[in-house]
Amino acid sequence: MSAMIPQTKTFDSKVLRKTVLDMAYAGSTVHIGCAFSIIELLAVLYRNHLRYPDNNPLAVDRDYLILSKGHGVMAQYACLRELGWLKDEAFSGYFADGSDLKGLSDSRIVGLEVTSGSLGHGFSVGVGMAMGAKLKGTDQKTYALVGDGEMNEGPIWEGALFAAHHNLKNFMVIVDENGFQAMGSTQDILELGSIQAKFESFGFEALTIDGHNEAAIDAAITQLWASASTAPKALIAKTVKGKGVPFMENNNSWHYTRLNPETYEQALSAVAGGVQ
Amino acid sequence: MRAAFSDALVRLAKADPTVLLLTGDHGYALFDDFRRECPAQYINAGIAEQNMVGMAAGLARVGFRPFVYGLAAFIPVRVVEQIKLDVAHDQLPVIFIGDGAGFVYSHLGTSHQSTEDIACTRAIPDLAIYSPADRFEVTAFMELAYDSKSPVYLRMGKSDRGDVHVALPPVIPGNLLAAKSGKVSDITFIATGSLVRTAMDIASENYPDAAVWSAPCIKPLNSQQVATICKQSQSVIVLEEHSVLGGLGSAITEIASEFAPVRILRIGVNDRFSHYCGTYEYLLKEHGLDRSAIELKIHDFLAVN
Repeated sequence: MSAMIPQTKTFDSKVLRKTVLDMAYAGSTVHIGCAFSIIELLAVLYRNHLRYPDNNPLAVDRDYLILSKGHGVMAQYACLRELGWLKDEAFSGYFADGSDLKGLSDSRIVGLEVTSGSLGHGFSVGVGMAMGAKLKGTDQKTYALVGDGEMNEGPIWEGALFAAHHNLKNFMVIVDENGFQAMGSTQDILELGSIQAKFESFGFEALTIDGHNEAAIDAAITQLWASASTAPKALIAKTVKGKGVPFMENNNSWHYTRLNPETYEQALSAVAGGVQ
Repeated sequence: MRAAFSDALVRLAKADPTVLLLTGDHGYALFDDFRRECPAQYINAGIAEQNMVGMAAGLARVGFRPFVYGLAAFIPVRVVEQIKLDVAHDQLPVIFIGDGAGFVYSHLGTSHQSTEDIACTRAIPDLAIYSPADRFEVTAFMELAYDSKSPVYLRMGKSDRGDVHVALPPVIPGNLLAAKSGKVSDITFIATGSLVRTAMDIASENYPDAAVWSAPCIKPLNSQQVATICKQSQSVIVLEEHSVLGGLGSAITEIASEFAPVRILRIGVNDRFSHYCGTYEYLLKEHGLDRSAIELKIHDFLAVN
């Protein structure tokens, strides 16, 4: 593993992608493409929006970020490293026997709100947390980051009905629309059509943006929260699976492929060269 | 028994504003009192059980004490994975109420009957399973569930079989409760839920020296107490309105086989669905769980001892 770049709290997408590559290589793990499509989304959320008073991941009045697509967890680990909540040893020892960080989101890791990986769970838990914040009268916000493949799961739509019926304006679903799921393209497996239109028809206020354009992500989140509507929010992020490494981009085999010394070096230099 | 359940729920909710009742559009008249007394704590989550359980986990995460109500066929059976992953994995204080367990919905057929719910939940770590037999046990175990601040599945079966206790017994989680005292005898009965009353009736008439134990708590189960009971008897008869696979009979047999080997007759639902519909009493008969069929099974079992 190459030397880790010092923690920055800038959530620089190059650093985040390098952290993911380092840990994926150290642990010989899969799901790299799934992590790369949500790098900019997480960077903007952590840098500009999520509220963690006193940098405390367990603060009772924090905002809640739920990674419902738990297989993207390496991207979130990379952000938790920036925050200082995960140490470099956790990355170099990723997947070692007896280590904490799993291949899917686990709520026992401080900073992760739910255990996910089985899809369609986190959305509902997030709706419950948003409902709880509403009942308590707090101004906490809840984000649920879901995959487009995950939209196949029924509880997403059950929860969408509930969130809209109860005017959970403090709830935002962010859809990582990278166009792929485990076995192929979403179009070939279960055509989703317009995700924005679907959420709008369920009573959400929705926007679609380029999920790798940080300024656009930031502006859309700000715009949705600024709305006077009591509707829950949906941000549809058009993303590229494997974004940042040309040979991974839109190549669904990087849902499952592990890095070897050669692809690791190639990927590192692609990431160091910048994100197109 | 259902009145005791409603009373306990209302009492807990009035004392603690973080108590919430979530229902999957069930409990039509059952919750009249609750809705009148605690309207802000009542959430009809719609006919969407998976989302309801996920939401209950979310509500518990932010400090609420959700009771999730449904028919046992749906809560817990339809949502086993949500209970495992969203609730039990983090020991969140969510209490699941599975109503109408067993053959209560005798006329409606398999979709509403529930004879596999204990088996489906027993292997989930950190989930307690309660199966009260009468109004006293309901009251005690509702309070115990609330006080435990951890995940509980409370199974409510046929609720009009009469009392098995004369007063609220002191309860310790995992302990069997004496429903009928007895002497050290050839035969001992252990039953849960609706069949405790049946066991008492059969024992009183046919085996007056036999003790009858109620198991209001399927998990945890006090192994030491179960082993002691098994050691004091030649034969143990276990009765439940649940499959003979994976329920109380299995749990008792597992303990006995390790600590106190004894012949055990597991009386419950054999590995089959209901074929026909009819009254509750008819369905018990179809499954060989009416009193005379049970008496015959016990007679035959003891005859080959």
